[in-house]
Amino acid sequence: MEIVQHILVYITLLISVGYLAYKFVLPKRLFSVGKKSSKACGQDDCGCH
Amino acid sequence: MSKQINVALIGNPNTGKTSVFNQLTGLNQKVGNYPGITVEKKEGICKLPRGVRAHIIDLPGTYSLNTTSLDESVAVELLLNKNDKDHPDVALVISDVENLKRNLLLFTQIKDLKIPAILVINMADRMARKGISIDIPLLEEKLNARIALVSTRKGLGIEQLKELIADYKSLSKTPNVDTTVIDPEYFDKLKKTFPKEDIYKLWLVITQDVNFMPIEKKLIKDASSFSTKTKSELKRLQQKETILRYQFINGILKETYKVDRNAAKGFRATLDKILTHKVFGYLIFFIILLTIFQAIYGWSEYPMDMIDGFFASATEWVKDTLPPGVFTNLIAEGVLAGIGGIVIFIPQIAFLFLFISLLEETGYMSRVVFLMDRIMRPFGLSGKSVVPLISGTACAIPAVMATRTIENWKERLITILVTPFTTCSARLPVYLIIIALVIPEGNFLGLSFKALTLMLLYILGFVAAIVSAMALNKILKIKSRSFFVIELPNYKLPLLKNVGYTVLEKTKSFVFGAGKIILAISIILWFLGSNGFSDDFNNAESIIEKRVSQEGYSTYSETYIKNNLEQYRASLVDSGMYPNVIQDSIQTMESTLEGRALNQEIASYKLEHSYMGYMGKAIEPVVEPLGYDWKIGIAVLTSFAAREVFVGTLATIYSVGNDEEETIKNRMAAEVNPVTKEPLFNLASGISLLLFYAFAMQCMSTLAIVKRETNSWKWPTFQLVFMSLFAYIIALIAYQILK
Repeated sequence: MEIVQHILVYITLLISVGYLAYKFVLPKRLFSVGKKSSKACGQDDCGCH
Repeated sequence: MSKQINVALIGNPNTGKTSVFNQLTGLNQKVGNYPGITVEKKEGICKLPRGVRAHIIDLPGTYSLNTTSLDESVAVELLLNKNDKDHPDVALVISDVENLKRNLLLFTQIKDLKIPAILVINMADRMARKGISIDIPLLEEKLNARIALVSTRKGLGIEQLKELIADYKSLSKTPNVDTTVIDPEYFDKLKKTFPKEDIYKLWLVITQDVNFMPIEKKLIKDASSFSTKTKSELKRLQQKETILRYQFINGILKETYKVDRNAAKGFRATLDKILTHKVFGYLIFFIILLTIFQAIYGWSEYPMDMIDGFFASATEWVKDTLPPGVFTNLIAEGVLAGIGGIVIFIPQIAFLFLFISLLEETGYMSRVVFLMDRIMRPFGLSGKSVVPLISGTACAIPAVMATRTIENWKERLITILVTPFTTCSARLPVYLIIIALVIPEGNFLGLSFKALTLMLLYILGFVAAIVSAMALNKILKIKSRSFFVIELPNYKLPLLKNVGYTVLEKTKSFVFGAGKIILAISIILWFLGSNGFSDDFNNAESIIEKRVSQEGYSTYSETYIKNNLEQYRASLVDSGMYPNVIQDSIQTMESTLEGRALNQEIASYKLEHSYMGYMGKAIEPVVEPLGYDWKIGIAVLTSFAAREVFVGTLATIYSVGNDEEETIKNRMAAEVNPVTKEPLFNLASGISLLLFYAFAMQCMSTLAIVKRETNSWKWPTFQLVFMSLFAYIIALIAYQILK
């Protein structure tokens, strides 16, 4: 049981550190791969070209 | 499956746009940001007749499509970009019945973009009182558009509006004004160069004028290549366009819009005269401020106590219910403490936003902004900086968010940078405990020295903010146009629904935005304080047990046991128990207290040899010149996550089972500086600590918000380094002089 508790602590710690890194350190573009920006202009009838 | 359409709500500020949004969406709404920028995006879902679902977007308020602020440019970009997933199928142009002429300028521009538009004339309930009559059918005919006359206050006309939206396919797309007549030659050239493009859309893209924020303006940059006119020529053409539109609007309103001046009442003018008066205006504002702060502190006390109690019980429950172990400890001491540290500020934040929202809803806040502008301007701030500076006394996070209303980027940036100097509620527990320890008893003009010190610290915060603003105004070389235009809206009774939504939104934004960061940091701090690599840490139990068996408890633990036992004995005697029962109970209590004292000593020893303890020892040489020991060093270090962590950390370090201030206070008062053999918390070290906390940037969440609001790490880093260095130097000088 104690080992399970230790594992859970380390998982929680990793999530916390990971969350802070995601929030403040890692560049946002790492997480936007494959996502199309809502502002992207894919066609030529939008008035921007 | 029902069809979903995009509906954009657009209109001048103060036209009741948000009220229409709330009426249409109810609670089916969410608040976020536009991608990449910090302009608030409100969207919701509304069910319309004939199975149509409307995705409603509340666009930032704008006076026209000739943008001057970041907020306005967001609205225009959405209207221009057909490929944006939120591009509207229909635009609702919300206008105020009393300012129809000005509101129609925007309406005609949107109509000329060939977006199906409905003119929503709000505040219809004021028509009779203001002597206004409108010939709606004639106005519809002249504008070639459908009109909904609504009163969000009374809930009138909303169903008719829903019908009109559902029937959006029948709306006319015919433009109102032919803009090309302002310079036929230029527009002819444009038409020839881009024969497939809509000419008015091109014109808008060319003339966008957002000069203070690096926003995503690819659309505009691409279009600027075919601009053959200088900036000033374009400005002149824009003015011509506006005149042309007003000529059109005046012609229409002459026939359709009548105001009986005799029926209108002059209450607003009288009230404005008083509320913006050079003397009474400030006096009234000061009295309102005092009332608000009194109410915030007074009213928040009860819910805060309840929240505190709830989390204390929850911690107990977790410890009693879950199997003992490190994860249970993490939940009880790390997670619950972290969540508690966020939730406890909800009442203060909710009350603050309740009052700010009430002041905004009634129209008074615009008068305050107008009133304060002349005072703030010499310091490089704007009248609109007053709201963030006031909000900062509760919490810097919503205060920094409140700077979004400041159009001028330099003024906005300066306000963001200086707002954390104002005394936020998180500093209060730190101030209270240090003042109680080091400021002597006594009175001055009927006010206690302690109360005076607290007041001085609040004043010091404001002075630091104003002086820094003045310095930043001179240092920062940011070119931006400085102008101050504010509309003084009509006074009205606040709509409770709107106030409720605002309070809910802002509170949610705090809890789920900053809260996640605070929680993550609390978990990491707990881990650092509960783990260590040395033998001292791993064998803390046996070391302390051996020490207690050989030398007895520490002086503090002995006093703790003795005091609690005496209190317990007195309570038993008062309850009229038999002496033999009292004796038995006391013996049981004594062993309980001894157990607690032993646990506290072990916890203290472990903390000293934990990762966090080593970090404290490592920074001791840095904090020693300020009069602090390693324990205070740790508390200062951990409170860089959030200031309020200071009291909690000291409570743990000083081995106190609960965090009642009085108990921590006694323990802190008993601390002795090993070098000087004097009390550790004396006037010199106390003042040094107070000054450090007054100036240091100790709030990760504020830094995160500043990063978000400025879209860069440069400014939060500058803030952290400058404020912390400044705090260190001031605290050092204070200690070295007073010691």
